[in-house]
Formats: sequence, C-alpha cells, structure tokens
Amino acid sequence: MVDVTARTDEPELDPGSPPKLVGFIITAVVAVAVAVVLAVLFWLQGYSSPSGTEVARSVGTATVNGVTLPHVTLSFQTYPDASGSVNGVAIHPGGNPSWPAYGMTNEFQVPAHALVTVTVKQYDSGGTLNNPWFATVRGTVGGVATVNGKSVQSIDPNDVAHTFTVRGTPGTDPGFFLNVPLLAVGGNNQSDNGPYNTIVFSFVSGSKGIYAWNCEYPCGTMVAGFGGTMGAYGYMSGFIHVV
Amino acid sequence: MEAKPFFSRPGGKIFVIWLLMTIIGVVIGLYAPKHLMPQMVSIEGHRAVLTVVVFTVLAAPVAALVWAVGTYSLLAWRRGAPETPPEDGPPIRGNGPLTIVWLIVTSFLCIVLLVWGLAELSADTAPHSNALQVDVTGQQWLWTFGYPGTGVQSRTLVLPVNRPVQFNVTSEDVTHGFWSLSLGVQIDANPDVVTTLLATPNKLGSFVVRCSQICGIYHAFMYAPGKVVTTTQFAQWLQSQGASAAKADLAARVTP
Amino acid sequence: MGRDNEVTTDTAPGRLEDTALGPQAGGLYRRQNLITGLLCGVVLAVLGWLLSHALVQGSHWGTDMVVTVTMVCWVLGFNAGMGTFNAPIRWALGHDQSDEDLLYAAGVGQGAKRYWKFCTDHKVVGTQYLVLVLILFFVGGGLALLIRTQLITPHSSFLSPQTYNTLVTVHGTTMIVATIIMVTGPFTNFVVPIMIGAKDMAFPRLNAASFWIVVSAVPCLLAVFFLGGVNAGWTTYAPLSVQDPPAMDTFALTILVFVTSVTIAGVNIIVTVFTMRAKGMTLGRLPIFTWGSVLGTGLGLYAMPAFFLAMLLMITDRATGTSFFVAAQGGTGWLYENVFWIMGHPEVYVILIPPVAAMLEVASTFARKPLFGYAVVLGAFVAIDGLSILVWAHHMFTTGYAPDLSGPFMLTTELISIPTGLVFLCIIGTLWRGSIWTRLPMYFVYLFLWNFIIGGVTGIYLSDVPADEAFHNSMFVTAHFHYTLLGGAMIAAAAAWCYWFPKVSGRMLNERIGKIAFWLIAVGIQITYIGMFWEGFQGMPRRVAYYDPIFLRANQMATGGSYILFLGWLVLLYCIIHSWRNGAQAPANPWGGKGLEWKVPTPVPLENFLVEPVVTSDPYGYGEPETNGKPEPTEAPHEPELVPAMVDEVPAGGGEL
Repeated sequence: MVDVTARTDEPELDPGSPPKLVGFIITAVVAVAVAVVLAVLFWLQGYSSPSGTEVARSVGTATVNGVTLPHVTLSFQTYPDASGSVNGVAIHPGGNPSWPAYGMTNEFQVPAHALVTVTVKQYDSGGTLNNPWFATVRGTVGGVATVNGKSVQSIDPNDVAHTFTVRGTPGTDPGFFLNVPLLAVGGNNQSDNGPYNTIVFSFVSGSKGIYAWNCEYPCGTMVAGFGGTMGAYGYMSGFIHVV
Repeated sequence: MEAKPFFSRPGGKIFVIWLLMTIIGVVIGLYAPKHLMPQMVSIEGHRAVLTVVVFTVLAAPVAALVWAVGTYSLLAWRRGAPETPPEDGPPIRGNGPLTIVWLIVTSFLCIVLLVWGLAELSADTAPHSNALQVDVTGQQWLWTFGYPGTGVQSRTLVLPVNRPVQFNVTSEDVTHGFWSLSLGVQIDANPDVVTTLLATPNKLGSFVVRCSQICGIYHAFMYAPGKVVTTTQFAQWLQSQGASAAKADLAARVTP
Repeated sequence: MGRDNEVTTDTAPGRLEDTALGPQAGGLYRRQNLITGLLCGVVLAVLGWLLSHALVQGSHWGTDMVVTVTMVCWVLGFNAGMGTFNAPIRWALGHDQSDEDLLYAAGVGQGAKRYWKFCTDHKVVGTQYLVLVLILFFVGGGLALLIRTQLITPHSSFLSPQTYNTLVTVHGTTMIVATIIMVTGPFTNFVVPIMIGAKDMAFPRLNAASFWIVVSAVPCLLAVFFLGGVNAGWTTYAPLSVQDPPAMDTFALTILVFVTSVTIAGVNIIVTVFTMRAKGMTLGRLPIFTWGSVLGTGLGLYAMPAFFLAMLLMITDRATGTSFFVAAQGGTGWLYENVFWIMGHPEVYVILIPPVAAMLEVASTFARKPLFGYAVVLGAFVAIDGLSILVWAHHMFTTGYAPDLSGPFMLTTELISIPTGLVFLCIIGTLWRGSIWTRLPMYFVYLFLWNFIIGGVTGIYLSDVPADEAFHNSMFVTAHFHYTLLGGAMIAAAAAWCYWFPKVSGRMLNERIGKIAFWLIAVGIQITYIGMFWEGFQGMPRRVAYYDPIFLRANQMATGGSYILFLGWLVLLYCIIHSWRNGAQAPANPWGGKGLEWKVPTPVPLENFLVEPVVTSDPYGYGEPETNGKPEPTEAPHEPELVPAMVDEVPAGGGEL
C-alpha cells in the first residue's frame, strides 16, 4: 500500500542534520549538569559544621536525686563577631563580621543519661527578648543557673544576649527541654576578647539521639531579628549528639 | 434482531471490570485511611477521617469507570504495534446525549461533595460558649502555649477531655502553621494577627503539634508534644505549672 | 469536509535555506552567539557589581541592592550579547533590518551553528527550547534526588537544614519553570505554525528573544546556591522570604525575567494563531493542540503578572525598606499569599492544558478516530481557564484569612472537577471502539489516564475545607501535585515528545529502549508518590529535612521509588539522544496523521510550505466516508498538487470563524 522504505537519497548535510545537533544537545546537558553538581557540592561543603564537634569531657560520676550518673563537662562561648579569632583560632572560618556566633563550634557530643555541667562565657551585648518566656531557666538541675557566681531562676528579659534552648528532634525524647538565657554584657564595649559573663548550669541528658539547639534572642537582622546570623545554620543553631 | 447477552457485549464486559475495580477501591477506602492515619483524639479529627473514607468510596466508581474503559480498550480493540498504522476506527465525533448525562451525573456528585463539605465546615466552626481558651504562640522555632487566667505558659499542650477549646494563634516573627493531625486542627500563626480555631478533644491520648508552614532552618524541629487528659489531671497539671488551685479549677471546669 | 489538506514539496529548486547571502547580511548577528552573550553578561554584571558596591554605603558583598543590580546587569548584558536587542535598536536608529538581515537571522547559511545563536526560525527556537527543558528537568530532578537521599533516614547528616531548604526551593522553582515551558516552548513553537499553515510565528524575533531571555534567568536561579540560600520553598511566603539571605533577591529576579519571557511567548502564540492561519483553516478546524496552546498561554497572560508583582514588591521590601509584607511595619503576609496564589492556581492549568491538548492529538492518531467531542473539550478548556481564576484561596484555607470565604472557594474549586471530567469523557470517547495502535506515544496516554485520576481525586479531598485542615502542607499535598504535574502533565508531555520526535529530529525513536524507560517511569511514579501519600496520611509535614521515625517506612518507599523514577527519565533521555544519532530515518508521516505538520517533509524546510496550503477539513477525518479510511501517505508528495478552482470562494485570512 504505502512504501515506507528509507529514502534512497541521503539528505545533504544540511542545517538540521542530526549528528551536529546532537552534539549541541549532549554538550549543553552535560555542561549544565556538571556545573550544577559542582555548585551544589561547593554549597554543601560550605555549610557543614565549621569546626568539628566538641566532645564533653568526663569528670567521674555524680548523684542527682539519689541516682548516680556519669558526669561530664562542656564549655562554649558566644561571641559578637564571627570573623574574629581567639588565641589564634578562628571562631567561625569564613564568618561574617557583623554576625554574632556560638564558638568554637556548634556541634556537641555528650553521653546519654549523664549529668552535663556546662560553662558558657558570654561576650556579646543584647537587648529585649521577643518572648519573655525564654528569660526563665528551664530544664536544668534545680531549675537554676549560676550567673557570675550568683544562682538565678530567671534574668531580666530586657538584658538577654542569647539563649541556649535545646529540644529533642522528632522521635527523640519529646519531653526533653532546656532553656538557659545568657546575660548580656552591658555598655557598648563588646568584643571577642573583651569582658564576658560566666553562666554555669547542669542538666541531665536524655536518651540517645540528636537534639537541636538554637538561640531564641533575635540577634540577627531583617524581619523580627531572626534573619542574618539567626537564619544561617552554624552560627546561632546546632546539634547535640547524645551517644 | 437478536440481542447479544449483556456480558458478551462491550458494555457488559466493561461493567465487570468496573465492578471489580470499584470493589477494590471501596475496600481500600474503608481500610487504608483509618489504618494509616494516626489515632484521632478529637471530634474534628474523627470527622476528617470519615471524610477521607467517604470521599474515597465515592471516588472509586468514578475512577473505576475511566480505568475500566481504558483497560477494555487495550483488551478488545488493541491492534498491536505494527510499523504502519492499522485500519481507521469508526468516525465517532461525539455523542450529545452521553455528554449531557455525564455532565448531569458529575454535577450531581459535585453537589453531594459540596453539601458534605459545607455541613462539615459549619459543624467545625460552630461557636462554643465557655470554650477553654488557649493562646498559641509560634516563633522561630518553638511553640509555647498560654492558658489565660491561670498564668501558665508551657511548651507542651495539655487539654482536658470533652471540653471545647478555642485556640488563639499568633506568631512572634514569620508565618508558622499550627497543626495537629490527631487533634484535627490546622491554622497558620501570622505575626501581629490572632487567628482562632475550635476543637473538642473527645478521647484520652497523646498527640503531636507540628509546624506545617516552612519557617526557616529549624522548621522540622518546631513541634510540641501534647496530651488529652481528664479534667482532674488537667487541674493538677496547671497547678504543677504554677497556677493557683482556684484558677486551675476554673480553667478545667466543664461546660455545665 | 472532504479532501485532505494539500501541501507542496521541498525538492523544488531554489530552496530558501540555500539563498546566498551577502557578506554583511545580518550585521551584528554575524558576530553574536552564546559565547558573546556569556561574555557580555559577565562583564556587565561585574561592572554593575562594582558600581552598586561603590554607591551603596557600608555594603557587605551580599547586600540586597548589590545583588539585584548585579543580576539585572547580567540579564541585560547576556541578552545584549546574544543580539536580543539588535532589532529594536536598529529600528530606533532609523536603520531597520533588511530582508537579507532577516534571512540571516533565520539561520540561512549557518549550519548547526545557528542553534547557538539568536535564530528566528521557529523550528530552531523549538529545538532550543526542547534542549533547555531537558536540561532543566535533569537539574531539577538531580536536586530532587538529593532531597530524597536526605530523607532516607529520620535524621541524616547528609545535608544541613539550610542546604535542604534551598534544595527544596530551587527544585520546586526549576520544575515550575520547566513544566510551564515543556510543551509550549518546544512544540507550540515547532509544530503550531505548521499546523495552521503559516510560515513562522507572528513575531519571529520575539520568539527567539523569549528563548534567550529565559536562558538568562537560569544562572540567576542557580546563583541562589552561592548567595546564602533561600529557606522559604518555591512559594517563598513573606515574611520569611523577606528575612532570607540575599539569595532571595536573585530568586525574585529569576521570576521577573521568566515572567517577561513567558508573556512575550504567550502574546506571540495567541497573535500567531488568530492572524496567521492559512486559507480555509477556520477556528473550528484548528487542531485541539493549537487551542490548548492558546488557552494555556492566554491564562498565563492573566496569571503570571501577579507573580511578577509579588516578586517586585518582595524586592522593594528587602532592598528599599517598603513594608508590603512585614507586619511589624504595617504590612501583612496575607497580601503576599493572595497575590501569589492568584498566580499560583491558574499557573497549574497553564502547565496542564497544553500537554493535555497535545495528548489528545496523540490519542486521536493512535486510536485512528476523530477526537471525541471537539467542541466539548474546547468548552471544557475555556471553563477550566475561567474557573481557575476563581479558586486561588483554596491554597489559603488554613491561613486564617477570611474564614467566611472558605465556603465560596470550596464551591468554585469543586466546580472545576466538572469540566475536567468532561475532558476525561472525551479521552475515553476517543479510545472507544478505536483501532488502538500501541506504539510508544500511546503508552503515555494510558499512563496519564491512570495517574491523573489519582491526582485529581486527591485534589478533591484537599478542596474540602475540614479535610484540608488535616492535610494542608503535609506530604499528602506534595504527593497530590506530583501525581497531577508529573504523573499527569509531564507524562502527557512525554507522549507529545515521542509523537513529534520524528518530525523534529528526522529519526524514529528506538521504541525498545523507550519502553524500558516507560515502565521504569510508570513504576517509579507509583512507588514514589504512593509512598508520599502514606507519609501524608501519617502526618508528616512537607519541606522538612528531619522527621519522626514513625515515618521511616513511608520515606524509604518514596526514596526508593524516586531512584527508579530518575533512572527511567535517564533512560528516556538516552533513548532520545541515541535515536537522534542512530535512529531509523523517519518518513514525513510515520503515524498516518492528518494534520498539516505531517504533510510537510522531514526535515521541514525554512518557511515550511513552498505554496500556502488551502485547508478543506479538520485533521480528524479518520474513517470518514470521503477518505474511505484510506491510509495517509507516509511521504510528502513530490509533485505540487493542483489547487482546486474553488479557492475563490474562500476569502483570505481563514474564512469564517
């Protein structure tokens, strides 16, 4: 009925001829795909944890409410300038100078069901919380924290630099919650090596898993002060790995 | 003219395929939502499950019709995949009566769904006097719940059973989504505005509040545990959070 | 009714593409191509960066104004380097482009190089769009694989939360851009002018411009990764997006540029169809794909400017201190949500209608029957267009905005199911008692029938306000729109790609490989998105990088399915490229189709027809007595057929409406 054999005349190598056009396609697709993969990899490595994990140090055992638990200590600091360095070590490699940051890392590791004593050196100035609920110490042993040697249950919500607020991630110990407000350094002379407040508190870690912490004081920029440093992972947010 | 038996005509065979598919669909509808969705602890939650079941069951015959004709077309009218096109089919350009029947039936189904939805909507939003007020505050990246009149603020949501609750929801910064599937509630938390939502827990148990509107890097961690407890346990819990005994009892009192 | 469409031949001497052009023909076009475009774009962007950096006091490298200005300079520079602005500038200078210049611009004498340049031939632009769409889908799909890989375990350390949110945002936007242009870019451009008997589009230079403008938007989108990321999903709700890093500015600019391109393309398509039809091609004889293109892009002309507006206000809120969307300063996030969804809902029909219309052509050809209910389908498309304008707030049922409007919007949303149902009636009516020819394009038609029913029905659940309170922003919604957009629109587009591939490439697709791809895709879709429905039923929110371990099984199912799905698309891509290189030569009409596009030879000559065709019937004459069910010739006729003497009775311009 109908002749479907291939055409006997070869088409001239005219503008639309397949091999050259296919070269166009393949080149374009591969080039763009490679570019995107590189970009993503660049991005991925740039936003992994800046400085490794701080592992809590063991100091023996302690008794809480009649139960003997392993006792570990942990320490970190809060700095006003992420691009600075302390004792020659960069606080946040590649950090943005106008951004406050936790240092020297935002990833911590503690054993499960242990008493963890935390010492925080707070170098930054502050202001008013947007929710005064976070000015109260919650979830610590005794419900108190020691600020510059004095034991307190809450601080002035207008004088907060940062908070250390920890909760379980979905499926990990939903009842766990810790909130410690960190007192601001007064005046305008805050610096990475300047005056600081010392806050010490202890809490009992939950079961194994990953816990997320972040600061609840709006020390960032833009809407509600939660942009900038607050919205960039690794400055004012991180994880506690309970192992 | 001798009529062929029903089941050897295309219509009959399609009917059989349709029936099988509808039965499978109905069984899925009756079983899957209840099995896959979490335990509901409120009237609204139970209603949502019922809606999903009913809609699936109603949708099954409609979906089955399209799939049955499609399946039958491959069984009876398939001409394979030769190099050249097969012989043409009959030049059917349309069927007025069929189109009108289809239009009427689908419009009717649409009205049924609409009436169901409107009835459910008005039941869900019917105002309750003396509902327990709970202030829900979302912020990046935590929920806090306040019980006005008792001075209690907490990050877990505890509710007394069989008492209507009105949630007054707001945000401190960006838009969050106050959502609990088991409790049958979802409404956005918007900055500088208070939105309200009603629910009546009717079963003891626990539930989770999750943030449903992406709100930044820790959106996935913005969740709060919740519990539906008895009235007595609720009053006790309020006191443990710092409320006075009188205020706790007032808050817990069931609508007379 | 009666005689088939008549056309002419390509072997007549003096082909247009063999015209010898003078050495100066084309002017600046001679020196412009993708390389000059990239160079000009980068140079102007650097200049813009330096200038804005110097002018904006105290600026760190990433402030919003600097980013915006830099990206605008990139877009303008790239397009200037490509030659997009040559024609208007020459017209303004009083030295308009000559006929020789226009022939050069159409690609005469440049061989394959014309694909890297500003080329006005609608077939070249169509092919360029096809390549762009393939690139966008693989980039977007790769991002999706990264997302699903993160979700293999409840708390994976594969990605940081910010990276994950950015991936979700860029995946969404890339896919939205790609699906909007996936059929109207390649096939409306390539096929519709031939289908209606025209030589080219109404505005060929605008056609090329729309392509290169959208290409210039792509680096703006990818720059999001380098500027801090966007945390807000493709819907970028304010105020979160006002809070986001400077990447949000380049994101907003991507949209501004993209909407410009889509608007230009839409105007071009509509004017072409209404003014460039051949004699006898009345509106009632138009193939349904032409109507689908017009109605899809027409709806886009209404909707996309709202997206433009939302992003423009976003940029001013971020860079100049306005407060449209920031509540603390008197604005409201609800304003953004309303404007966004006024675009967002019609936009899914902009995505859906052209592929479905293309798929109807495929169904008709492969069932060897006329399209069932042409007028009904047309009416349904028009009704969908109209109703889709009235349903946007069903995306906002849970925002707390205007609760009294929940009922009315529920009504309008459920009404859309009626014309959609009519389209389904016409699909199964076309299959009814047909001669089902199960070649590869037809496979995708059946897959569409399966997928879109599931997607459409689950949409009805979401239109019910109380059920929406259960599922809004859960993975149930994600599964619903992937079933409709991927399982529905993209599968219909795949049917269109396989259908017109022989005409575009001159080769037949290798159906053995194609079928492997088809089954991988079909199975992958079901496993992935049923897994996601499961996640949604259990209560997993969307856009989360970490989840409760109770969702583990469902996530494993969805992730496993996504790998199978991606593999399937890869095999399809391989099939397309392999067939383009090594496939059997395609005759002019391998499918025995009756549209004008099958009457022209392959490869299609410049300006398509040597003599303008006269149309005497619509392209659905299968089985009609006048043709006696005679099969169509697979080759274009080698002799020009005689034009009937009755041509005087048909007035120019297409005849009666």
